[in-house]
Amino acid sequence: MEGRLANAWRLTVNDKNFIKTALLSEIRIDGRKPFEYRKISIKFGREDGSSEVQLGQTRVMGIVTAQLVQPYRDRPKEGMLSIFTEFSPMADPSFEPGRPGELAVELGRIIDRGLRESRAVDTESLCILAGKFVWAVRIDIHILDNGGNLVDAANIAALAALLTFRRPECSLGGEDGQEVIVHPPEIREPLPLMVHHLPIAITFGFFSNESILLIDPTHNEEAVMNGRMTTTVNANGDICAIQKGGGEGVPQRVIMQCLQLATSKAASITKQIKDAVEAFNTERALRKIKRHPTSTGVDVREKQNQ
Amino acid sequence: MENKQSSSPASFIDSTIVPGDVVLDLSSMTNQTIKLGGGLRQDCDVISAMKAGTLRFSKPNKYWIESSQKRYVPCVEDTVLGIVVDSKADNFLIDIKGPTLAFLPVLAFEGGTRRNIPKFELGTLLYLRVVKANFGMNPELSCTDASGKAAEFGPLKDGYMFETSTGLSRKLLSSPTCPVLEALGKKLSFEIAVGLNGRVWVNAASPDTVVVAANAIMNSESLSTAQQIIMVEHLLKNIQ
Repeated sequence: MEGRLANAWRLTVNDKNFIKTALLSEIRIDGRKPFEYRKISIKFGREDGSSEVQLGQTRVMGIVTAQLVQPYRDRPKEGMLSIFTEFSPMADPSFEPGRPGELAVELGRIIDRGLRESRAVDTESLCILAGKFVWAVRIDIHILDNGGNLVDAANIAALAALLTFRRPECSLGGEDGQEVIVHPPEIREPLPLMVHHLPIAITFGFFSNESILLIDPTHNEEAVMNGRMTTTVNANGDICAIQKGGGEGVPQRVIMQCLQLATSKAASITKQIKDAVEAFNTERALRKIKRHPTSTGVDVREKQNQ
Repeated sequence: MENKQSSSPASFIDSTIVPGDVVLDLSSMTNQTIKLGGGLRQDCDVISAMKAGTLRFSKPNKYWIESSQKRYVPCVEDTVLGIVVDSKADNFLIDIKGPTLAFLPVLAFEGGTRRNIPKFELGTLLYLRVVKANFGMNPELSCTDASGKAAEFGPLKDGYMFETSTGLSRKLLSSPTCPVLEALGKKLSFEIAVGLNGRVWVNAASPDTVVVAANAIMNSESLSTAQQIIMVEHLLKNIQ
């Protein structure tokens, strides 16, 4: 937290020069190598479909909710998936409350593109009654602390939340079979979403003239770098989306190098997300088990209390 | 509260206090001049605390509260690291992590006259001294010591600046030397400037020395003396 209190405009000339010169000898200020990712920690809330991801000093919360709505006319059999971002001024003084800034819109678009255009979430399975009722899944991304590379952290938070989200089971009933019955979670176990693959966003930073490339830039490095590129790939090596920002031109050779690096990182991040989700599911299942008092000793005490 | 007022002030020294604690009772100490530092205020006949921290006393008559926080509250005679944010005709505007920007008069340099006003690029890092810190006014800084000499004040060249809490920067300046600096100094040679506003600047011949020193200092905040030495040894082993 302390380190990133230095706002981008308050980054000193000394720091800017130091970051650049240190990178020439492949040294980064937090002691990482240029192609090293920061430590990721994924936590889940008590509710299904909420996650908190920590990437170094960056903290992002993802919350998934769903409601039944009428589908779009041109796609009567498809559910909806939408992403909303919230950049709180608490995370970084440069975020202004109210209208979403340029970064907030871009971040939402990158994640949206990665998830939707790659058809990672099966929207057709969200249909209850064609043309009448489909589930609209809403992903809310809250930035809690900006330590750099918000896109990657937000993407992991969104995926972790989607994987743990469960929607209530629905069935059709009534006289004409057109009435939707939503079963409460106590009666029928809620269903998880169908997620085919995990598109992982990996961000690269480019520094001018020396053609330096680094992965997962921190807040300070973001203030110095000339260009950035976010590649969204999955563990199978499929490229889902690429977003290029900043003015710096990038040769084709470098893009290919980035994609190779991204694919290997995506595999390890996918594994981390899956492990975290599995641990959460086990804990969730254990919570559901009702423990009955078996020993007679407990019964005696209860009687005495009465 | 009654109990606290009757107890002798000496009992509060070097102990933890919270806002509202009555530290000194002036009615019982007539004919004395006392000097108050940060975190204390006078309410009629009593001196009470305004923030949580440890009460410190320095002979003959200085009282202040020490605490660790991210925001710096300017205090006269503190040495700080400031960043030039803007320059006006009479003042440079400096960010010292305080509630407001601080003013550095363009003449507050050794031998400063209207003719030799220094030029600072925005974002220049300066080592400065706080001259005035009054309520409702922007604090005033100076690039000279009390006798008007440049001393070590002025712009810092190269190196890397990072932010810590005010408590850690106070620990780094304490005497005897903070264990983390002592342990680093045995193996590495580097230059360091610590501002009481929670900013630390490190410079060395090679960037990896700077990175090791900076990270060791940042990690040392919550560690005990022995842990700090072990941590530094571990870090140094990694780079060799």
